[in-house]
Amino acid sequence: MTHHVFEEEEFEGRLNRRTMWRVAQEGFKFWPLMAGFLVSISLVSVLDSYFTFLSKRLIDEGIGVGDVEAAGRILLQYGLLIAFQAVLVFSFIMCAGVLGDRVKYELRKRLFNHLQALSFSYYDRTPLGWLMSRMTSDIQRVGELVSWGFLDIVWGSTNILSALAFMAFINWKLALIILALMPVLITVAITFQKRILTEYRTVRRTNSKITGAYSESITGVRVVKSLRREEKNLGEFQDLTGVMYESSFRAAWLSALFLPTVQLLTAIGVAATVWVGGIQFQVGGISYGGIYAFVSYVTFMLWPVQEMARVFASMQQAVASAERIFSTLDTDPEIVDRPHAVAVDHIRGDIEFDHVDFYYEENKPVLRDFNLTVREGETIALVGPTGAGKSTIVNLLCRFYEPRRGQIRLNGTDYTGLIMHSIHSRIGMVLQTPHLFSGNVLENIRYGRLGATDEEVVEAAKLAGAHEFIITLEDGYETEVGEGGVMLSVGQKQLLSLARAILAQPDIFIMDEATSSVDTLTEALIQKGMEALMADRTSFVIAHRLSTIKRADRIIVLKDGQIDEIGTHAELIRRRGHYYNLYTRQFRDEKEVEYDLFGGRTAGQSI
Amino acid sequence: MEKQTIDLKETIRPNRLAGLWQLMGGFRAIYLTAIAAVALATLARTSIYYLIRYFVDDALQSDRLLQILPWLALSFIGLATGQGLFTYLSGRWAAFTAEGLAKRLRDYLYDHLQRLTFTYHDQTQTGELIQRVTSDVDAIRLFFAEQAIGIGQIVLMFLINFIGIWLLSPYLAWMSVIVIPFVLIISLFFFKRIGTAYERFQEQEAVVSNRFQENVSGVRVVKAFARQDFEMGRFEGANHKLYRRGIYFAFMHGTFWPITDIILGGQMVFGFYIGAMMAIRGEITIGTYLAYAQMVQLIIWPIRNLGRLITQMSTASVSYSRVADIIRQDREPLNQGSTIPAGGIAGEVRFDGVHFAYEAPLKGDAVEQANTVGRLARFRDDHLLAAYGLPVLHDISFTVEPGQTVALLGSTGSGKTSLVHLLPRFYEFDRGRITIDGVDLREYPRAYLRQQIGIVMQEPFLFSRTIRDNITYGVGRKVSEEEVVAAARAAAIHDVILSFPDGYDTIVGERGVTLSGGQKQRVTLARTLLKNPQILILDDATSSVDTETEAQIREALQKQNRRRTTFIIAHRIQTVMTADLILVMDKGRIVQRGTHEGLLAQPGIYRRIYELQARIEDELQADLAASEVSSGRLPVRGD
Repeated sequence: MTHHVFEEEEFEGRLNRRTMWRVAQEGFKFWPLMAGFLVSISLVSVLDSYFTFLSKRLIDEGIGVGDVEAAGRILLQYGLLIAFQAVLVFSFIMCAGVLGDRVKYELRKRLFNHLQALSFSYYDRTPLGWLMSRMTSDIQRVGELVSWGFLDIVWGSTNILSALAFMAFINWKLALIILALMPVLITVAITFQKRILTEYRTVRRTNSKITGAYSESITGVRVVKSLRREEKNLGEFQDLTGVMYESSFRAAWLSALFLPTVQLLTAIGVAATVWVGGIQFQVGGISYGGIYAFVSYVTFMLWPVQEMARVFASMQQAVASAERIFSTLDTDPEIVDRPHAVAVDHIRGDIEFDHVDFYYEENKPVLRDFNLTVREGETIALVGPTGAGKSTIVNLLCRFYEPRRGQIRLNGTDYTGLIMHSIHSRIGMVLQTPHLFSGNVLENIRYGRLGATDEEVVEAAKLAGAHEFIITLEDGYETEVGEGGVMLSVGQKQLLSLARAILAQPDIFIMDEATSSVDTLTEALIQKGMEALMADRTSFVIAHRLSTIKRADRIIVLKDGQIDEIGTHAELIRRRGHYYNLYTRQFRDEKEVEYDLFGGRTAGQSI
Repeated sequence: MEKQTIDLKETIRPNRLAGLWQLMGGFRAIYLTAIAAVALATLARTSIYYLIRYFVDDALQSDRLLQILPWLALSFIGLATGQGLFTYLSGRWAAFTAEGLAKRLRDYLYDHLQRLTFTYHDQTQTGELIQRVTSDVDAIRLFFAEQAIGIGQIVLMFLINFIGIWLLSPYLAWMSVIVIPFVLIISLFFFKRIGTAYERFQEQEAVVSNRFQENVSGVRVVKAFARQDFEMGRFEGANHKLYRRGIYFAFMHGTFWPITDIILGGQMVFGFYIGAMMAIRGEITIGTYLAYAQMVQLIIWPIRNLGRLITQMSTASVSYSRVADIIRQDREPLNQGSTIPAGGIAGEVRFDGVHFAYEAPLKGDAVEQANTVGRLARFRDDHLLAAYGLPVLHDISFTVEPGQTVALLGSTGSGKTSLVHLLPRFYEFDRGRITIDGVDLREYPRAYLRQQIGIVMQEPFLFSRTIRDNITYGVGRKVSEEEVVAAARAAAIHDVILSFPDGYDTIVGERGVTLSGGQKQRVTLARTLLKNPQILILDDATSSVDTETEAQIREALQKQNRRRTTFIIAHRIQTVMTADLILVMDKGRIVQRGTHEGLLAQPGIYRRIYELQARIEDELQADLAASEVSSGRLPVRGD
């Protein structure tokens, strides 16, 4: 379980009109749904006001004058309209629900598909947690705004307007009083909702800090105990829960205060109705039913006002969410196929790095004037300390990045003249910590060549040396791996990704060896699998094991982005340089493991 | 304001509702007052309708209407103010209770977790615990903040308005509630399904998130195999399923609300009809009808929300039992024990026939028990699984004089770590005796022991704060900059720290710089050195540190002019050869003991290791000689 605490940015800026327009367009794309809920909700809202008017008529035309037939007629109409409104309610819930889900679905799809095209550099500077928030909470907010938010505004405004219209129809002087009350009501409501929302934001922020604190104190509980820091930790934690308490309590009582305040304002309206209405009644300006209707309209007005205020207050946040989504969608991939790039079936031949410079961040050079020619079929071992540039060379070769200066030529052609798919699909790669996707073993290997038959997959697994351990798994090739599946060791994952690479039949093979220790048996199998892959194709290995290094045709020792030493194993040993030191240290470590100094430990057993 | 004095452990009850009631200790009066305030607010609201009745029936007919009108208007505002005030107060008091209880629970659980035994933490999963202390606590908070008070509000609104109508006309009252039981049943029925639909929606949401996360974290593989189209297809599958579940969820709502709209709307029109007929026949006044027409709405419409609240309440009660399972666990008594030597301990340690096995699983938590084995299987230290329930230390006896260094050598799982973990009383041993300065270990309070003993663990753990904070983490007193630097120097990490842009103020971890394994080990070493314990335990503390730096550290430790008793767990002969006593362990027993020279003189594991290490050196020389003469590709393995 991860506990990324990514602070959400504050949104105090004004609403961006352009973004709001784009948000609206997301909804307009599904205009039949939008039209559907607009019509339904407006009718529902007008009907709500009309029901009160019907009650008024029932009182004045039925009860007041003792007309049973009229009363019956009006109530029948009432009943029928309720049934009709129920249909409309179904319609607006479905339209708005489907619209919201549809917008969210489309946005998720577009975001996902767009991200597939983005370059590595984008992923390097964008944390996973940030992208996850775009994909989940931001899309959620935009979807809500387009559907339910919009719906609430339409419902609220239609309701208020139609109520005012009916009131004006019954008695326009009284209606004017209520109308005068509206701006006050709305201003108060929005002010409240904004304050409440600010508090809730603090609550959310504090909440993720609390989760972080829990997580740290649970994972570090052994240290806490041995250092006797319980009291101080509790003190620090209480500060956090104190903030949490303050803001959530404040948010709660503000919410509790909100309704009564608005209610009180409407009560002034009711009082005005009673007072002025009473006077009007004497002169026949208003009837019993009219008074009833006014009281109903005014007391009900609270709800549309509250809903609209809520939407307006949260709109800022939703628009900010939309802005972040759109900015991600607007990001252009840094590496794109050139206009006249050609597709090739194979990228065999020599590989040349010609005066290549590279940096991830300006002024922090990673590779400087790097030159290297690799003959077809050669195996190159890359060694050197972390940050020396080993991975960068591999990333450049795969064209995950392009050189800032200089050229990389595949078989004599500058590789920027080829389409990326030609390069990527011809490279087989095994990562240090191999990535498996959720799904079963078979599917994970088949990832290398989607069209491969089951037999071919098994064949590749056999070549990679993975078959032996796969069949010992409970469900064999059908065993679920990755999230929620069986836990495989790093070594086993490497075997699977070797099989995946073998299945892909690449022209160039790249391997980043695991640094963590792998048990001897698996290690031997991995070596065997690598041999199968490296046999007749150009290979680059970021090597951590002596056997791999020694097997290479050439070893490149990198230091600070430049080639420090290059040559065969024997040549480099004779030089007594960096490689020599590295080799002797590694030799001792590996032998210690191999001889199993303490005895009692056999390969493949972790106890 | 807060009632911190209550020990929540006392409040745990097997019955969930009783437990929740006990949990409220200190807040009960105010919560009940909050519910009473709801009643008063409802009463005020219903009175407004009575006032309308008076206004229509009496005031409007009166000659003194103009004199009455201002008072009437004032009364309306007065009642509305009363209603508003009580609504506000009930909300405020309910929030006071809910937030206060949540804070108390959070604080208690935090403290409780850091005081539970090592055994408990060995057997539980962090993710599961965090889930309980955050989401489940929040569910309990919502129970008090919204569900309990919400149900109270609906019930009170129903009762008061029902009585209100009943006082006007019992017949009308009964005629107005015919469909209520049906609506209640329908509401329960639907919300149970809506709850399930929502869960399924959320499950699928998690699937989509996982797919996405997998894609982003596996972006290298996706790109390396040019599988973007395939990935889009996979995502589309999950995404579309989420879309369909969203629609189903909307459909459930889309069915529930109109159906109840029709039933309750029908009930309302029926009530209007009865009322209107009674008014026309003169059985009730027109004012009575008007009051009725308003009150009846408060009886029927809110009822359909009961199903939602009741469904949510059952979630809260499940959460309660999940939280109660944690609270029920026993804490480690930190201050039990009477011996606290005035001048501190000297550091003589004696083990006398000690046997030790890890404890049985957690008590009383049925779910936990069922999961324990599966959980242990995922537990990082495999040896613990093997050792679980089985003795890990057999008949351990040895004596260390103050200031001496003891080295423990042995394979993984031979019991070295378990042995040193007994000293700070992280675990309780079964048989035998351990003494420090001749006093039984169990007579020292744990808190005191842990102050005297410094331990650097196998896996370094740093907190996500500054390096300085990490080094001074366990020191209970104010420390000067010089002391911090001195500790960092002794741990050979000072220069590394200075190479960071913010020096000692650099934040480590997720939101700061990432340290290598060796660097982390050295920071934790500095932390322990700063604590300056009388007994120092180094549990493979320099395993990720290179040989040169390790020698540096060893030298610095020797130079410290303090005579402390030191336990070293190590794998290299070089690290242990200078120790005063070397214990070679195998399968929980001490199989060899003595000094480096003494152990070399006798056959056994120690000599074998020594000889193997010498042999490796010989082989290295031979390999290098062979390498120099050969050229080109070499045979790989078994050469």
